Amino acid sequence: MAQSLQRIAAAAVFSLPFLAHAQAPKPATGSLAVAFGAEATVLDPTHSSAGVDQYFFGQMFEQLVRTGPDLKRLNWLAETWSVQDAGGKPVIDIHLRKGVKFHNGDPLTSEDFEYAFKRQSDKKISIWTHLQAAVERFEIVDPLHFRLHFKEGDGSYVASDLTLWAMPKRYMEKVGDEAFERAPVGTGPWKFVSRSVKEEIRFEAFDDYWNAEQRPHVKNLTIKVIPEDLTRVAAFKTGAVDWIDAVPPAMTEEFKKLPGVVTASYVAPNNMYITMDSVTPESKFYDVRVRQALAHAINVDAIIKGVLFGQGQRYVEVGIGELGYDPDLKPYPYDPKKARELLKAAGYPNGFDTPCYNLTTPREPYQKEVGEAYFAYASAVGIRCKVVGMEYGTWISFGRRERQGYVDGLYSNMWGHGLPGDPGTPWAGHLHSYVPGKGWGATSTYSDPEMDALVEDLKREMDIPKREALIKKIARIKHERVAGGLTTYRPLVTFAWRDKVTFKPWPMAFWRSMQEIGLKQ
Amino acid sequence: MLRLFGRRLLQGLFSIIGASIIIFVISRLSGDPIVMMLPNDAPLSAIEEMRRTLGLDRPLWAQYLIFIQHALVGDFGNSYRWKMPALQLIMDRLPATIELAVCGLLFSVAVAVPVGVMSAVNRGGWVDRVGRVFAMLGQAMPAFWVGLLLILLFAIQLNWLPAFGYGSASQFVLPAISLGWYPVAAQTRIVRSAMLDVLDSDHIRLSRALGTPERLIVWKYALRNAAIPLLTMLGVYFAAMLGGAFVVETIFAWPGVGRTVVEAVFARDFPVVQAGVMFTSILFVASNLLVDLSYGLVDPRIRDAR
Repeated sequence: MAQSLQRIAAAAVFSLPFLAHAQAPKPATGSLAVAFGAEATVLDPTHSSAGVDQYFFGQMFEQLVRTGPDLKRLNWLAETWSVQDAGGKPVIDIHLRKGVKFHNGDPLTSEDFEYAFKRQSDKKISIWTHLQAAVERFEIVDPLHFRLHFKEGDGSYVASDLTLWAMPKRYMEKVGDEAFERAPVGTGPWKFVSRSVKEEIRFEAFDDYWNAEQRPHVKNLTIKVIPEDLTRVAAFKTGAVDWIDAVPPAMTEEFKKLPGVVTASYVAPNNMYITMDSVTPESKFYDVRVRQALAHAINVDAIIKGVLFGQGQRYVEVGIGELGYDPDLKPYPYDPKKARELLKAAGYPNGFDTPCYNLTTPREPYQKEVGEAYFAYASAVGIRCKVVGMEYGTWISFGRRERQGYVDGLYSNMWGHGLPGDPGTPWAGHLHSYVPGKGWGATSTYSDPEMDALVEDLKREMDIPKREALIKKIARIKHERVAGGLTTYRPLVTFAWRDKVTFKPWPMAFWRSMQEIGLKQ
Repeated sequence: MLRLFGRRLLQGLFSIIGASIIIFVISRLSGDPIVMMLPNDAPLSAIEEMRRTLGLDRPLWAQYLIFIQHALVGDFGNSYRWKMPALQLIMDRLPATIELAVCGLLFSVAVAVPVGVMSAVNRGGWVDRVGRVFAMLGQAMPAFWVGLLLILLFAIQLNWLPAFGYGSASQFVLPAISLGWYPVAAQTRIVRSAMLDVLDSDHIRLSRALGTPERLIVWKYALRNAAIPLLTMLGVYFAAMLGGAFVVETIFAWPGVGRTVVEAVFARDFPVVQAGVMFTSILFVASNLLVDLSYGLVDPRIRDAR
């Protein structure tokens, strides 16, 4: 632990010096309309209750650390930061970037982050207070220098880009929470102009934005909300918008061939997997051979190709680009013969019947059809599925141990995180044993003291290289034991824009960040 | 007349209270919003605290009494997801849905009445046969399918009308047709059937014997008598359009209340669901009340009988 609390030189590695302050940016001109398939509900990051909220507030608000287009972590509002040891307890020491302003002209100071910390720790305001639970106190050293003192190590704090959003203390204290929600003010590249719920949000490029190089090159941006896929496509084809997200998988090939159109596919932040009760001895899936049989039974590559039109990326425990990704970890090959042998060895020569729960709400494209394919493959080797469809609200309650207990059978599941991602928090939820009332294993179907100890170590580990090694170690064991479910694929999301638009996708807001967008001169 | 109005109003009030109880109970039986609101790694203490904060730890009857007490003064609580008053969220979206439903209804009546009348007048002829095929097609094509076809044809192929959005007159055309398409079929049948009955009646035969021009007989005397069943159905259709506009609103990115409420159902956002259903119920009752009252305007015999 002591070693893990050493000053992390690696923080400097993530830091890219921004020398752009010296250059005067060209004022942005022109207007651009884009269309998103989903809509954020709130504009204040502290009120956020779902990843989709980032779609809007992610354009206006910024964090201390951020992931760049190449999936490398950049020091953003933090000029430098490091983890230090203070008498056996970790401290994150942060120096803020000079010259950063909020959209109303107020300078960014340590007090704004202290205010953000207090709001994010307030249960009446935020649902993410547990992310601040390990922080003992916030110390302001000077207007551009502060420290976060921790009670104990919290790796998720580091993994989540230091969690805090820059909030304008003076402005918020003046206008109050409700007025702030109607007229939010951040430090980001886009200033809020107006919003019409279920319709659109309008932004204007922030001329005094601190980052002279990585900034929008168009003055006005309108994000239209068009949930229906074909309508969004029609809006693009008719020229009503020049950029769309979530091109339907069945249409991606057509879009790639459209003249004057650029497309790009990126991995979504959801990790799909199939889970099963491996805790209850009476469960058929308690035996590792049955879980391995399932892993050999399902042809994930064929599902990606045939059901998802190629719009999926196979992953084994940890996705490409994610911290701890191990290219040497290979998926179980599709081998129905071996699957049957494993079932026979486990005492099921004739297979067995089992309920298989399928999410029917399309949270990801073709999710219902993918689930049906999983269960058809499983049935083909003898894990005979009786498929039960579930609507999203029921399904999400169904996966929670404190409500449902352990569920007999298989069910399609997923875990999400920011991009590029760190599996620490999701594993604490579904790989660690369920511990009532403590937050561990809230969605777990697995119990193993060795794994619990490793996941708890990971939770505490704030040293990035050590964290990475630990993730790789856990992933190998998890894979061998098919523990915490069988990982399958990560959905790909395709974006399309006209070639008159310059767009560089940043992973913030799940690749919908308009950090670098403009019109060709 | 006043007694009838009062009686209908009282019945409507009971209907609204009944709807509020049903939606209150069903929404709470359908799932726990706390599970959807809090992240997976939230400890049990946070879950329990959130449940207390939202008043969801109380017995169902107590929750309902608190809800109805606040609802009476227009307070439906704050949306769990939008963090704003649920009533405001609904009221801001309601005009768009009412406008869409009215336009859809006008479209359906504008098509159904002439087609139904012409079919009845030309019973068994080619106009009648075309009218019946038209009616059958209308009922066989759901709104989402009609909407997508209209977008493909009028927005993408011909580029005459916008594919989505709300505000300008041109943006009303495709959503209104999509929403009104389905009722056209049923309304055409109702008008045709009612017209056939009326055209066979004694007073029409008498009018013809007196030499009244056929145009007047059909479009004034017969249609007025045949309008009662259509009027009855219009109230029901208008309410159905308010509730069923969700599909059309989604397809055309229309910022209406239907989309808002359905998304709230998926998110178990009880305050928004309750406010939405309450206001849809009120509009349903109001539209039926208006239809009841309009009978007297159309048919003086009903007015006199009352």
